[in-house]
Amino acid sequence: MATDRRVMGLFPDEKQTAEVIEAMSAYPWQIDRVHSPLPSHRISTALKLKKSPVGWFTLAGGILGFFTGFALAAYTALVWKLIVWGKPIIAWIPFVIVGFEFTILFSVFGNVLGLLIFGGLPDYKGLEEYDPRCSGEHFGIVATCTEGEQDQVIEFFRNKGGEARVFEELAADS
Amino acid sequence: MSESPQLTYTEIDRTVLDTLSPPSGGYWLIVMVLILGVLAGVACWVYQIFIGIGAGGQNIPVAWGTYLINFVFWVGIAHSGTLISAILYLFRAGWRNPIARAAETMTVFAVSIAGLFPFIHLGRVWVVYYMLPYPNQRYLWPNFQSPLVFDMVAISTYLTVSTLFWYTGMLPDLAVVRDRATGFRRKVFTVISLGWTGKHEQWRHYTRGYLFFAALATPLVISVHSVVSWDFALGIVPGWHSTIFAPYFVAGAIHSGLAMVLTLLIPLRKLFHYERIVTMRILEAVAKTIIFTGLIVGYAYTVEYFLAWYSHNGVEMDAFRWRALGDYSLEFWIMVVCNSIIPLLFFFKKIRTSIPWLFGISILINIGMWYERFVIIIGGVAHGFIPHAWGLYWPSGIEWGIMIGSFSLFFLFFVLFVKHLPSISMTEMKETLDHGGGHGN
Repeated sequence: MATDRRVMGLFPDEKQTAEVIEAMSAYPWQIDRVHSPLPSHRISTALKLKKSPVGWFTLAGGILGFFTGFALAAYTALVWKLIVWGKPIIAWIPFVIVGFEFTILFSVFGNVLGLLIFGGLPDYKGLEEYDPRCSGEHFGIVATCTEGEQDQVIEFFRNKGGEARVFEELAADS
Repeated sequence: MSESPQLTYTEIDRTVLDTLSPPSGGYWLIVMVLILGVLAGVACWVYQIFIGIGAGGQNIPVAWGTYLINFVFWVGIAHSGTLISAILYLFRAGWRNPIARAAETMTVFAVSIAGLFPFIHLGRVWVVYYMLPYPNQRYLWPNFQSPLVFDMVAISTYLTVSTLFWYTGMLPDLAVVRDRATGFRRKVFTVISLGWTGKHEQWRHYTRGYLFFAALATPLVISVHSVVSWDFALGIVPGWHSTIFAPYFVAGAIHSGLAMVLTLLIPLRKLFHYERIVTMRILEAVAKTIIFTGLIVGYAYTVEYFLAWYSHNGVEMDAFRWRALGDYSLEFWIMVVCNSIIPLLFFFKKIRTSIPWLFGISILINIGMWYERFVIIIGGVAHGFIPHAWGLYWPSGIEWGIMIGSFSLFFLFFVLFVKHLPSISMTEMKETLDHGGGHGN
């Protein structure tokens, strides 16, 4: 019977963590996640992470926002017509200002929405398999392995100068 | 670059978390004094609601008094928070990291206070919904060609965006507090940190999102004070109707905001022992930026006179002559000296590295910037086109009371914030130690 285990290796240094991640590529264990107290390019590079797609949400929000703002101002002018010197009711310049403000507002809404969706937030369940030191001064690499490989993973982390911590068994399958 | 090479991650956390320990009696005394100030302001506002808007000193022709002065003043204060948190972030200026949180917080609170003044000035505040664009039986719609309506949209957007920016930026730090808290406090911080665990996937999207936040907040902040300036510049009042108003207002806003950053940070640094985090080098960098904004503001004051002279428009020329030599000449010279001459003292290293000088000059700039708004807002309409319509204005006691209330509320919010939420970004400080820049730099 194969059982999935999650083993966390805790390291006090960012550079060391990135090196361990790179070294793990030679082993069959999968890196489930890496916790760090700060964003790290070294770790992102070691994990070969792609660029976040959050920007697409931001862009979509911005486009929607511009047309919403402009349409609101234009509709308002059309239902309450203030004709001054025969000038057009839909005034482009002032309405672009309203459109601009709505562009920023809706872009930010899109940005936050993208951040929450892609970042999986809120994620209270994630706290069950987490070490509080990872928000302070430690970096945590969580590797998934079988029960038989667990000791090897622990040994690997210890040899690399880290501290190992095993989380409880996950769903057992055959 | 390393601001404080001897600091470690643990020391940063400990220094900031120590500020969240249970407050002393002195702290609660300050809170009580500020609450009294707020109550005085509320009492004055309630009095005005019962008596009518005439309880203020506004009159014809000066229909906009301290309510508009304070509105512009507080919006201006807000601006440097965004300069520090967003614009300097985009420029990768590492020195902004230790002060970004306090500055962002100042932004959120200052915009909130600014947003109160249009309500106070409305008189019948309970009909504020008339300003909202929705189908109604009155067949009334706001006129989106008016700069006042641009302003309503801009300020609402600014408040929403700066609050979201502030909260998003604080998420990793809320997790730090959660992980070291116990009991009820831990529960609260667990909820508000949204279960942040600093997973690589969270950071991947967070850093990208933060970058977009900064990129969006930058044009927003410039647009907001430009829109505020158009409240005046789009009118044909002499002294208001000027194309330089937008950049002039933006520079002035950042000038006053930077001064307020010093006013808030210097006591904070002393009380919370932040000397190793908010170093003298950072305060010096703020002072140098104040020299720059002060020079822009001084240039704008000069150019206004040049434009009046160059226009050969008698009314415009007289408006500016009266500004320097007329009934409000004292306010005008306070403005000039405090905003453009005194900040030049920061050219001397001895002065910009001295805490008493930094603090004293920051207060003087705040006073000067308040008077700048007084000179512009009151001076314009008090001495308009037609001599028989000229008039003078001075704030009434009710207006002073409301103003004291607004300042008390701002400082109350800030004092409550520094004891309950991390006032320095621990995450960005850690980044400063390693990389000298912002998120994911």
